[in-house]
Amino acid sequence: MALDPKIRINLDRSVVLLVEQNAQAMDALTAMFRGFGVRKQFKATSGAEAMHVVKTQELDLIVADAAMPDMDGYDFIRWLRRDAPDASRFTPVIMLTGHAARSMVEKSRDCGANFVVARPFTPELLLQRVFWVAKDERQMVVAENYVGPDRRFKNMGPPLGVKGRRKDDLSTHVGAATAPNMDQSDIDMLLKPMKAQL
Amino acid sequence: MSEAQFVKVKYRLTEQVATPGGMTAGMASDRAQRELAAHAGDAMKSIGAMIGRLETMVRDQEVSLDTVYNEASTVLDIAGLFDKRVLCDACYSLCELVDRQRAHNRLDWASIGVHVNALRLLWTRDGQDPDSLKSVVDGLWTITDRLAP
Repeated sequence: MALDPKIRINLDRSVVLLVEQNAQAMDALTAMFRGFGVRKQFKATSGAEAMHVVKTQELDLIVADAAMPDMDGYDFIRWLRRDAPDASRFTPVIMLTGHAARSMVEKSRDCGANFVVARPFTPELLLQRVFWVAKDERQMVVAENYVGPDRRFKNMGPPLGVKGRRKDDLSTHVGAATAPNMDQSDIDMLLKPMKAQL
Repeated sequence: MSEAQFVKVKYRLTEQVATPGGMTAGMASDRAQRELAAHAGDAMKSIGAMIGRLETMVRDQEVSLDTVYNEASTVLDIAGLFDKRVLCDACYSLCELVDRQRAHNRLDWASIGVHVNALRLLWTRDGQDPDSLKSVVDGLWTITDRLAP
C-alpha cells in the first residue's frame, strides 16, 4: 500500500544512524534522509563504529546495510537487541539488503530488524518504511533464539489444540457451545437498567 | 525452553513524526529524489569503475568467487539506491550465479564473463529501450538457473 502523499511527516528532531560501508551508497542514503527533513544523522562505516554510536548517542532510528566489513548488519542488530545498553536495545531498525546469499537467509529472518528493504528501492518506498516503523505497534519478543519485533503482523491465535506462548493467547476457533443458549428474559435482565445503591 | 517475554515498546519516532510542522510525504519524497539526483552522476561513474574491475577479474581468472561476489554485490548496493532496476536485476543474477557456484564448489568463468559483459552493456545503455534490456536480463537468468540453487 503506497504512502498517501498528503500525510504530514515531521522528522526534524529525529536522530538517525546510517550504517553503510560504501562511501557512494552512504552519500546517497544521507541525501535521501536530508530530503526527508532529518537534520541529525550519524554515519558509521563498520559494525564497530555503529556500536560506538549506539553506546554514546540517543537514536530514534537505525538504517543499516546488511553487508559490512567487520561484522555483517545482521550480527550488529543481534548485538543491538541483546547486548546494547537498555536505552537503545529496542531502537527501531530498517535493514537494507542487496543479494541474499543462501548462508544469510536464516540470519536475516532472525536478526530482529523491524523491516527489511530489498534493493532496488525509491526514496518514496524508504519513507514509507520509516512511516511504518513509526506506526509499528508490534510488541518486542525476548526469547532464547530471537529478540526483536513480533514477526506476526496479525495475531490469529495459536492453532486449535496448541497452547499459546503468550499468557493471554486464545485460539480463534470458537468450538461447540458447552451450555444451552440463554433465555431472552435472562438477556433482558443483563441489559436492564438498575438503580444503583449509593 | 524458557518462555518468551513480550515487551510493549513506545518509539520516540512515533511522537516525532506526528508533531506539528514537517512536510507532506509527497514533498519529502520529491526533496529526497532531488538530493539523490545530485549524486547519481558520481554513482554511475563509480559503478562503471566496478564493472571494469569485474572485467579484469574475468580476464585474469585469478581471484576467488568471494571476491567476485563482493564486487558484484557492491554494484547492486549502489545501483539499488538509484532505482536502476535492470542493472540491479542483472547484478542480482550474477550474485546468485556466484553464490550457487560457491555452494556447488565449482568455478565457471565463462558464465560469469557473460554476466559482466551484460553489465557493461546495461550500464552503457542505462535507461534506453527497456524491453530489449529486459530480454538481456532474462537471458542471464537462464544461465544462472542452469545451476540448481
